[in-house]
Amino acid sequence: MSENRLVRVLQRFEDGLLVSILLSMLSLAFAQIVMRNLFNSGMVWSEPLIKILVLWTALLGAMVATRNHNHINIDVLSRFLPPRLHTAQQRLIHAISGIVCMLLAWESLRFVVLEWEEENIAFASVPAWIPELILPIGFFSMAMRYLLHSLHPHKRPVT
Amino acid sequence: MITTLILILMALLGVPLFVVIVSAAIVGFYQAEIDLVAVIIEFYRLAEMPILLAIPLFSFAGYLLSESQAPKRLVAFTEAFLGWAPGGLAMVSILACALLTALTGASGVTIVALGALLYPAMAQAGYKENFNLGLITSAGSLGLLFAPALPLILYAIIAQQLNVGGKPFTLDDMFLAGILPGLLMIVMLVIWSYWKNRHQARTSFSWDKAREAMWQAKWELPLPFIILGGIYSGYFAISEAAAVTALYVLLIEVFVLKEITLKRLPDITRDSMILVGGILIILGVSLASTNVLIDGGIPNKIFAVISAHVTDKLTFLTLLLLFLLLLGAILDIFSALVLMVPLLLPIAIGYGIDPVHFGIIFLATMQLGYFTPPVGMNLFIASYRFNKPVMQLYQATLPFFFILLLSVLIITYWPALSLGLSGR
Repeated sequence: MSENRLVRVLQRFEDGLLVSILLSMLSLAFAQIVMRNLFNSGMVWSEPLIKILVLWTALLGAMVATRNHNHINIDVLSRFLPPRLHTAQQRLIHAISGIVCMLLAWESLRFVVLEWEEENIAFASVPAWIPELILPIGFFSMAMRYLLHSLHPHKRPVT
Repeated sequence: MITTLILILMALLGVPLFVVIVSAAIVGFYQAEIDLVAVIIEFYRLAEMPILLAIPLFSFAGYLLSESQAPKRLVAFTEAFLGWAPGGLAMVSILACALLTALTGASGVTIVALGALLYPAMAQAGYKENFNLGLITSAGSLGLLFAPALPLILYAIIAQQLNVGGKPFTLDDMFLAGILPGLLMIVMLVIWSYWKNRHQARTSFSWDKAREAMWQAKWELPLPFIILGGIYSGYFAISEAAAVTALYVLLIEVFVLKEITLKRLPDITRDSMILVGGILIILGVSLASTNVLIDGGIPNKIFAVISAHVTDKLTFLTLLLLFLLLLGAILDIFSALVLMVPLLLPIAIGYGIDPVHFGIIFLATMQLGYFTPPVGMNLFIASYRFNKPVMQLYQATLPFFFILLLSVLIITYWPALSLGLSGR
């Protein structure tokens, strides 16, 4: 499998996961309303599950935003920089972001290990550390993308 | 001090804001000799706020609506009822933009979705180019004071997290508080549009056209009632209203009207979730940085400095307005909320300002920021969309800027406008 193909498969996987999470949140939230109003009951595990899905949405959305250069930033400077400086600026900001995200990935990993040691439960009998794995995975993936962008800065989009 | 300067420099250089904010938190925890895993523990509080579910669901619904033919029907509908008056099409633009922004949560989608319909229609009806451009660009951020716009929800979440005293309030209070100030902005723009175009020929109102437009929009017409009725009556919690809205929009646009094919659904969903990821990650890291701010007693220190010089509420409000206008010109509304509310709200409360009123002032001023030169987001979106130089847009939006600025002044110095409906 070529490198490009691998990247595309990964991207499709991210997108697919994001879509399924949104649809799950939607169905769970709706099911909760129906259960509450018609049967006067609820599913104990659905609320913690929804909260975790929101966390997953945050990280997966942020991962895709990193991929597409869609993170919120103050975009004043890059509009006025000449091309060579623009490239240097892109390298710098992506390197900074990459390093910071790497640090976050490391601290997330420590967080997950702590939770594993404490044997916390997320919902039903799922241990908390399993859904929390999205934290190190998400930050690590963002770190890698930023470092790659830093090595291969993209050209200024034509507007 | 030097750290703060470096952080500001990073932000101005264009480093994503979540990286800047989390760096601030990391430095703060490091200096306080707290284990850096605390940054993640704070971030993880994202998973402890059930209300956040509303953000992805409303964004999803908004993106679906804007990608379907709903904007077209919305324009046809308002035109059938208002198009006959002088300046009628301008009023159509104002109302349509406000409704769509409230539904899509103020993300720049409005100009993209409605601009393509309104701009040519207004040009054809003989509106001057600069009036046309200025109106659509400035109306593109109108409506973010109406439920269920995301900035309103986000403000309530952040303020409640802070727990800084002041009179406690709920999200419902925010929703009620936004109604009259939002209407004031609309009314002032409508009056201006009428005045500028009062000599325009009027067409006659046609019942047939109105009936036809209503029939076309029959599936979307219940939406405002579901959302607003559900929320304002208290029947639905906000995240439940979001779920019902998202499900309803999904069903009608994909399965009933079939304007969005199942094939396009994943792409639209992903695009809406990119926005959500961007907002939530900023919110998450700001939970950590806010913690640093409050542990360091920063808001109290700033309050001490300011209150030594500014003694009365009115002077403070004026300074606040100036500061927010400057801020809005460089920061987008979401980052401004997570960064500045934790800092400013305790100070405002110190001056006896109601937290609900403060929220409305904050959002109304930030709304101006969308088209304040040099970097208001909507200026660039409109420039790109209508293929006009940004300089022309600076000029075109200027009269609208002053009108909305006037409305912001009224909103700021007349608290009852924001607080009257919720009886605070």
